[in-house]
Amino acid sequence: MFDLSSRTAKVVFFGTMCLIGFYMFFPLYWMITSSLKDNAELYRVVPTLYPHEITLKNYWTAISESKLLTYLTNSLITSGSSALLNTILALYAGFSFAKYRYFGRQPVMLFMLSAQMFPFGLLLISLYPLMTEVGLLDTRLGLILSYIVFALPVATYMLYSYFSQVPDELIDAARADGASDFRIFHTIVIPISIPPIVTVFLYSFMWSWNDLLYSMTVIVSDEKRTIGPGLLLTYLNELNADWGGAMAASLLVSAPIVAAFMFLQRYFIQGVTAGAVK
Amino acid sequence: MAKLELKNIRKSFGSVDVLKGIDLMVEDGEFVAFVGPSGCGKSTLLRLICGLDEITSGQMAIDGELVNDVPPAKRGIAMVFQSYALYPHMTVAENMGYALRLAGTPKQEIAERVNKAAKKLRIDTYLERKPRQLSGGQRQRVAIGRAIVREPRIFLFDEPLSNLDAALRVEMRIEIARMKETLGTTMIYVTHDQIEAMTLADKIVVLNAGRVEQVGSPLDLYNKPVNRFVAGFIGSPKMNFLKLGARKGEGAFAVPGGEVRLPRNLSSAPAEIGIRPEHVELVNRGAADSLAGTVTITEHLGSDTYAYVALDGSEEMFVVRLSGDRAVKRNEPIGVHVDPAMLHVFSADGQSIASARPVALEAA
Repeated sequence: MFDLSSRTAKVVFFGTMCLIGFYMFFPLYWMITSSLKDNAELYRVVPTLYPHEITLKNYWTAISESKLLTYLTNSLITSGSSALLNTILALYAGFSFAKYRYFGRQPVMLFMLSAQMFPFGLLLISLYPLMTEVGLLDTRLGLILSYIVFALPVATYMLYSYFSQVPDELIDAARADGASDFRIFHTIVIPISIPPIVTVFLYSFMWSWNDLLYSMTVIVSDEKRTIGPGLLLTYLNELNADWGGAMAASLLVSAPIVAAFMFLQRYFIQGVTAGAVK
Repeated sequence: MAKLELKNIRKSFGSVDVLKGIDLMVEDGEFVAFVGPSGCGKSTLLRLICGLDEITSGQMAIDGELVNDVPPAKRGIAMVFQSYALYPHMTVAENMGYALRLAGTPKQEIAERVNKAAKKLRIDTYLERKPRQLSGGQRQRVAIGRAIVREPRIFLFDEPLSNLDAALRVEMRIEIARMKETLGTTMIYVTHDQIEAMTLADKIVVLNAGRVEQVGSPLDLYNKPVNRFVAGFIGSPKMNFLKLGARKGEGAFAVPGGEVRLPRNLSSAPAEIGIRPEHVELVNRGAADSLAGTVTITEHLGSDTYAYVALDGSEEMFVVRLSGDRAVKRNEPIGVHVDPAMLHVFSADGQSIASARPVALEAA
């Protein structure tokens, strides 16, 4: 058998880890270094591995001259609202599926999950005329609702899995204490489900934050544009490609989500691993 | 305190009948234990009494008032769950006062009642802790405290000690016995542990496959089981059963290892006998009134020794309970002395047609 404590194994292990690390972090490294280079250095035929002359011009331009702040605000509004609504809806749906027995429970759940089987682009073809029909095109609400359509099934399933593990005896105890189902859910179940709730919120938030296709199609006017299409159309359009500016702007707008992750990662990991060990 | 009356209680889950007509009367202040094998319906019955599940048919009354449709909190019943079921995000005090808070009891009164119950259970120094900061025994005390605080008419316990280790179980058993004495409230206790049932209960209800097999005092069930099921279920180690073979003269029947004499005037034809391990003795092979066999396994528990004997002509083990200092050699050919007065006799349908008469009772 291969001895995992041998020197060779350690070298192979370390080497593999370095390769994976390089593969994962090199794009980020490239993004940071590119944002700090001036155009002359950026467009050299032989690219430089690190900025020979560091400049913060790209950052300054992104903040002062582009509509970055507008796009950021729009993204925060749409992503935050869709994540919040999605989490609330998934909470009730997940709890209902996990703890109540009623006719059609399983088929409804499967039906919801089956929505995930369609490519997102395909669903856009049917959603687009529908949105035009009900006047939701070029509205934040339209975008928020379409994000919910995609994130809700998985979010519901994630919370369903967690709620299924909440001991029935806990709910029975509260019922015997005189609590209504509504109160049991709000005063007992939700407070003990913070990690999965945070996980679902972050999942939904990331889903909409990272989206390009829907935000680009549903939103047409510039003042409602979210960060993805905003950056794309500002820096990488038909006429020019300002890679340095695009990198600096991308890093700036990634900051809030990275900060949120760092703050909430404890809950996120707990949520993802809930039930794995006793 | 309250009187509980169950009349023909049935419970079905879909097409499965879990309880098939339970009739039971629990008197004021009585401690009743429900025992039975897994899946016999004892926990289901407890949940019906609590109001957590709906009765399919039948009538349930507390102090003469029909409570079939009364919600759990309005029945004046408190339940202690097997897994404690403490609210993990609340402190001990909040856990104990939750029901009172829901009932709109003033804060001052909640605090007083929680403190009083906590002192009684010696958990008053942990009131601000969360359940995860407590040991198993302390958690169980909090679960009991949560029930006491409500000052219920009836306490329900669903295997409350089964998650505790052996030493803690004994300690908590004594705690519950003390609680029974001081509170005097009607208590219903589900357990699969016979020792708990025998030591705590005034009355034991033996359930099997959704029916009540027998209701009686612990000693009644031990001495006079009405059928083979109860005889086999009550007592540890369980009763030895021997199928009766050919008749060997007046009142005597062949059994593995020899023959036994049965009491006369039996109400119906005997088919099987039962003998408790503590009602037989090991004697020399060939002694009068003894069955021949060989000791195959011995278990030394200190206070007792169990000898597992293979009776001649039988592959089943016959258990004999001996005093702890009794030396028994493995593979030793021996005789098992059977006193006819200590025999339980069963008919072909498993009904008891003669019970053992313990010496003390006979003398009285």
